[in-house]
Amino acid sequence: MIRVLASLCLRAVVVLTGAALATFALLWHAPGDPALAIALARYDSLVPADVVDQIRVEAGIDAGFWTAFQAWLSPLLTGDFGQSSVTGRDVWPELMTALSYTVPLALAGLLIGITLSVPLALLATRKAGSWLDRFAVGLASLGAAIPAYWLGLLLILLFAVQLGWLPAMGARTSAHLILPALTLGLGVAASLTRILRSGILEARGQSFLPALRRRGVAARDIERHHVAPHAAIPVLTVFGLELAFLLEGAVIVEVIFARPGLGSFLVDAIEARDFPKVQAVVILAAVLFVVVNLLIDLVYRGLDPRIGERDA
Amino acid sequence: MRSIFILMSALIMLAICGPMFAPHDPTQINIPNRLSPPSAEWLLGTDALGRDILSRLLHGARWSLGLAFFISIIGLCIGTIAGLLAALGGRFVDWVVMRTTDTFLAFPDLVAAVVIAGVLGAGTGSLIFALTVTGWMRYARVARGIGLSLQTRGYVMQAQLVGLSPLSIARWHYLPSLLPSLTVVWTGMFARAILGISALGFLGFGVQPPMPEWGTMLLDARIHMRSTPLQMIWPGLAVVTCVLATT
Repeated sequence: MIRVLASLCLRAVVVLTGAALATFALLWHAPGDPALAIALARYDSLVPADVVDQIRVEAGIDAGFWTAFQAWLSPLLTGDFGQSSVTGRDVWPELMTALSYTVPLALAGLLIGITLSVPLALLATRKAGSWLDRFAVGLASLGAAIPAYWLGLLLILLFAVQLGWLPAMGARTSAHLILPALTLGLGVAASLTRILRSGILEARGQSFLPALRRRGVAARDIERHHVAPHAAIPVLTVFGLELAFLLEGAVIVEVIFARPGLGSFLVDAIEARDFPKVQAVVILAAVLFVVVNLLIDLVYRGLDPRIGERDA
Repeated sequence: MRSIFILMSALIMLAICGPMFAPHDPTQINIPNRLSPPSAEWLLGTDALGRDILSRLLHGARWSLGLAFFISIIGLCIGTIAGLLAALGGRFVDWVVMRTTDTFLAFPDLVAAVVIAGVLGAGTGSLIFALTVTGWMRYARVARGIGLSLQTRGYVMQAQLVGLSPLSIARWHYLPSLLPSLTVVWTGMFARAILGISALGFLGFGVQPPMPEWGTMLLDARIHMRSTPLQMIWPGLAVVTCVLATT
C-alpha cells in the first residue's frame, strides 16, 4: 500500500512540474513584448524605451527562460503567487477574493446536481426501459448537449427578463447565486444521472445477487451492501471530470452573470495580459485537479479492493 | 459505425452546402433594418447590424462544423501516433508519453483552451491550436490501451517474426482494430470541439467578427436580449442540435 501511495504521489509531482513548465512556457512564448505590454497596461500611453527596459529588468524577463522559470517557481512552492504585472499588488489576496465567489457557486452547483440526479436515477432504474427511464435518459443527454453559456442566457431570459423573479447580474445578495448555481447544477445533474443510472443497472446485473436473494438476504440489505458500493465506483471515477466541469462551467457562468469570481478574474487577466494572474489561476486549477484525482484514486482503491496494486 | 458515418456526412454536407441556401450575404450590414423581427424577407429576423440571422447561421455552420471537424481530426492523428508510440516504443517512451498525457490532462480543458487562445491573441489560428492541444489525450489513452493488448496477440507476433516492418504492422494489424474505438472517441471529441469553438467565441477569444460563428453570434445577441430575445435562441439551438446529433 505504501509503495502504491508513493508511486501515485510521485506521479502527481511529475505531472504538476510538467504543468507548471507548460504554463510558464506558453506565457513566455506569447506573442508581443511582455515588458511593453506591462508598460502600456501601467501607464496607458506610449512609453519611452528606457522605461520598457527598466520594466524588463524588474520583471526578470531579460534573464532568460530557465532563470525566470526558477524565479517564478521557487516562491510559488511557498505559496507566493507573485505580484500583478499591471497593478503591482499581490496576486494571492485578489485570487482569494475571487475564490470566495467561485467556491460557493461550485458547491451550490454540485449540491443541485446531486439532489436532482440521485432521485432521478433511482426512479429511472426502478424499471429499466419504462417511460420514466427513457425520460431520464433523454433529459440527461439533452443536458449534456446544452452548453452552459446558452443555458445561462436562457435562464436569464426566462427568470430575470420575462418573469423578473430573480436578479441576473452581479453577486450582491444570495439571490444572485440562484441562477448561476442552477445553470451549473443542471449540467452536473445531466452527467451524474447518466452515470448513476448505468452504474446502478450494472450493479443490479451482477450474477451473485440472485444467489443472495435466494439465500433469503433482505432486498434492502442487498441494495445497501452490494448494489450501492458497486454503483458508487463509476460515480467516483467521473468525479474528477465533474470537478473539471464545475471549474469550466464556473468560468463561463461567471462571465455570463458578471460574477466577480475566478472566471471573471481569469478573463480580465487575459485581456489585460496580466500574466502572473493568469499563471496563478492555471496552476491553482491544475493543483486542485491533480490532488482531487489523487484522492479519488486512493478512495477508489479503498472501495474496490480488486484494483489493488495492479496499475500503480 | 454506419450510423455515425451517415450522421457525420449529413453534418459535413450542412457545412458545405448550408451557405448556398443562405438568402442573404451574412456580413451585409443594413442599419435601417436592424433588429427586425422574423418576416418573409428575413426568415429569422436580423441582428444589431441588420444582418440576416438565417444566413449567418448557415454560414456559421461552416465555421463551427468545419473547424470542429478539422480540430478533431488533427487531435485524432496526434493522439493515435502518441498512443501507438507509447504502446510500442518500450518502457521509457511509454513513461514519457503517458506522463505528458497526464500533464495535459491536469488542466480542465476548457480553462486551458481559454488561456491558450486568449494569450496567443484572438483568432482562428489560436483557436485551432488551443482546442487541439487540449484535445488529443483521450485518443492517446485509447490507442495505447488497444496497442498494448494487441502486442500479445498471435497474429501480431507472427507478423513481427516474419519480419514485417513496424510501419506495415501498424497499418495492417493495428489500424483495423483501432478504428472502431477511435471513431467512437472521435465523435465525442467532435461534439466537444463544437462546444469549445462556440464557448471560446462566446468569450470573445474565438473566430473574430464579422465572420459568423455561433458562439460569437450568441455574444452579440446577448446585448439585445431585452428587445429581441428570439435572436439568442437560434445560435444556441444550432449548437445543441449538432451536439445531440453526434452523441
